[in-house]
Amino acid sequence: MYGNLIDALPSVLSMGNLLAVIVGVVAGICVGALPGLSATMAISVLIPFTFGMDPLVALGMMAGIYNGAMYGGSIPAVLLRIPGTPAAVATSFDGYPMAQQGRGGYALQVAVVSSALGGIVSALVLMLLAPPLAKVTLLFGPTEIFWVAVFGMSAIVFLLGGDVIKGLISAAFGVFVSLVGADTITGAERYTFGHLELLDGINIVVLLVGLYALPPAIGLLEEIRDFDTENTGRLNTTSIWKAIPGMLKYWKTWVRSSIIGVFVGILPGAGGSMAAFLSYNEARRASKNPDDWGKGEPEGVAASETSNNADTAAALIPALTLGIPGTAVAAVMLGGLLIHGLQPGPMLFRDNPEIVFGFMWQFLFAAILLIFLGGALATNSFAQVLRLPRPLLGAIIISLVFIGVYSINGRMFDVYLMLGFGLIGYFMDKLKFPLPPVVLGLILGGFAEQNLRLALRIGGGNWDILASSPTAKVLIGMILLVILSPLFSRLMRARKAKRVAE
Amino acid sequence: MFKTLRKTLVISAIAVSAQAMAALNTPAFADYPDSKPIEVIVGYSAGGGTDVLARVVGKYLEQELGNDARVVIKNQPGAGGQIGFTSVARAKADGYTLGTFNLPAAMALTYDRKAAYDANSFDYLANVVHDPNTLVVSQTSPYHSLKELIQAAKEKPGSVGMALASLGGNDHFSALLLAAAADTEFNLFPFSGASMARTALLGGHVAAGTMALSQTIGFEDELRVLAVLDDKRSSFAPDVPTAKEQGYDVEMGSYRGFVAPHGLPEKVKTRLVTAFKALADNKKLRDELAAQGNTLDIITGDDYRQLNDAQSDVARKLWESHPWK
Repeated sequence: MYGNLIDALPSVLSMGNLLAVIVGVVAGICVGALPGLSATMAISVLIPFTFGMDPLVALGMMAGIYNGAMYGGSIPAVLLRIPGTPAAVATSFDGYPMAQQGRGGYALQVAVVSSALGGIVSALVLMLLAPPLAKVTLLFGPTEIFWVAVFGMSAIVFLLGGDVIKGLISAAFGVFVSLVGADTITGAERYTFGHLELLDGINIVVLLVGLYALPPAIGLLEEIRDFDTENTGRLNTTSIWKAIPGMLKYWKTWVRSSIIGVFVGILPGAGGSMAAFLSYNEARRASKNPDDWGKGEPEGVAASETSNNADTAAALIPALTLGIPGTAVAAVMLGGLLIHGLQPGPMLFRDNPEIVFGFMWQFLFAAILLIFLGGALATNSFAQVLRLPRPLLGAIIISLVFIGVYSINGRMFDVYLMLGFGLIGYFMDKLKFPLPPVVLGLILGGFAEQNLRLALRIGGGNWDILASSPTAKVLIGMILLVILSPLFSRLMRARKAKRVAE
Repeated sequence: MFKTLRKTLVISAIAVSAQAMAALNTPAFADYPDSKPIEVIVGYSAGGGTDVLARVVGKYLEQELGNDARVVIKNQPGAGGQIGFTSVARAKADGYTLGTFNLPAAMALTYDRKAAYDANSFDYLANVVHDPNTLVVSQTSPYHSLKELIQAAKEKPGSVGMALASLGGNDHFSALLLAAAADTEFNLFPFSGASMARTALLGGHVAAGTMALSQTIGFEDELRVLAVLDDKRSSFAPDVPTAKEQGYDVEMGSYRGFVAPHGLPEKVKTRLVTAFKALADNKKLRDELAAQGNTLDIITGDDYRQLNDAQSDVARKLWESHPWK
């Protein structure tokens, strides 16, 4: 098998194929950086053109777009607190405060290096470990996926913000939105009010754009004064190569977040946004100064960006070996493969090694290219966006999100829905309700619920099934550890303090 | 004065339409398609199975229609295809809007929820592929034939779990029909999509599954196909017996084809149907579809309509006997 890997290399290095990856990365960064436009959309647009293309050219562009967009999403997340993609929500937690402190350039550099590293690890895992990891995917049935979702929910504690009640209301709102649509198990229609458009549920981009992009964009419109280019306009960047040595201290976070990203990637049906939340949470838990997080801790940016890129190639493991489109992007990519007669499944590796392994190399190159293209593009060009007069910037963002949301399913309904969420987001902002719990609730709420009910149905209504497999037991143990360890350590501290007092 | 104007308008309209009718036999109308692109509405996302099919078939349809015909795909995903089907039904019947059509799903939707179309809303052009359902277990399963599986289900009704891609589709109907033919019951587990159902089966989380034959291709070492639910064996799996051979008269599968809004001009319809008929002998198309796990099965015009009515009937009966929501 590794022989095939080497055999595939020459064709990947040919001029056209390499150029495809470069074009893909640049396009991906741009698309990711524009709020409302996503990698899924860019690849969907590309699909019709792939017919006439050589498979590796088409796939190289897709690999580039996917990797580029995962990083690109962090640019507006850092500069404007508007995540360009759902997976960049966690990046904005610390990235935006950094930008406000005038360290936006450094935040973007951390983001690009972390994204590239996550992508490289992920691509290597895909190249070297795809078949064995596909077996790990199979360990996760509905029961096990339910527990992973519960584990993810534990991250909510850190996202609630100052006011626990408001945080929980936000989370509940997110879960509510995730329940809209036809229930897959009974077919019952929930909160659809007879609208066919709601039957498949609400696309996360619609909610995200409404909550995260519209209120700040409206805020930009409210500012009459031109942007103060003196302070925030400058990103205070040094050359990325000079900045890298200073980042080496994040190596633990890089390693941890890469592992989390890859793990979430191979799970059936979980995506990059979940990886970013989980890894942000774990990094913060491990940090010596957890109280600084959310106020501009570069490690938070590193955690989120490493794992959302570590998810990209890893998500292709279940996609290529089992045909499970873990993310919307992977689903479109599978279509791109199918167009060239490449059916996902174990046979794919045997029948078309030169294309499959070539595709994997392209993921690796795309990740490496991120440092070169992402660094220069983000710090030199995109940051200039900040120098635009603010009302103009607001207007541009609003028109972009309209186009982006319309293009998801090609209908105005989603745009109206987004405007509704925008209104909710505006008031949440003014009333100081935190937004991250909404996103987490939406990602995990319905996901946990469907899997729990499917698991119980498989178990014949018997709750024992939830702890029947070894994988499930391990997961339950991890959840207990996470929930109980802060209590335990507090107890220990209290006892120690008491002893000292005595 | 307005009255006279209206009268003149009516008269001239009649005159124009008479002329148009006279023109039907002249090359002017035979020139369909003209430079206007033919839009094919796909009720699923770009990159999905139906979308890829539409794009592949569209390419060959352009060649058959000649005149530099252009086929463009428009995705209108949502509600299990219903949004797309509805928009085809409502489109102008001029031959420049067609749509992909999935059976039995498209008709099943009209029973289990409110739909703005029915069988008469369309002109039936051609079915293009037929993908029979199968009954599948994992290679490690103790069941080696349909009989053994059904025996187990009969001994303890509801003990055999069956993974489905979704409710109200061909996977679901296959399980219901098989249970009825064998006079037993399966415990149905609707997953969100065929690939999730297949993964649960591969991982041993469920005992069996009903999935389209194309979903089993490439997984020959991991899955054991116990029966093909068709009247004859498939060329993709010639060793797998049909359910009928094993004593259970069940046929179910998914059909994907093309329809137009009802009321196409006769000429246009003939032109399109002729083009689709010619695709039946197109070896390149057949091979391209085979690489994607699909069998070319061209059924045109009235025969396609009959297929639709038969599938619709099966869905209606199942809905009446086993309402799923």
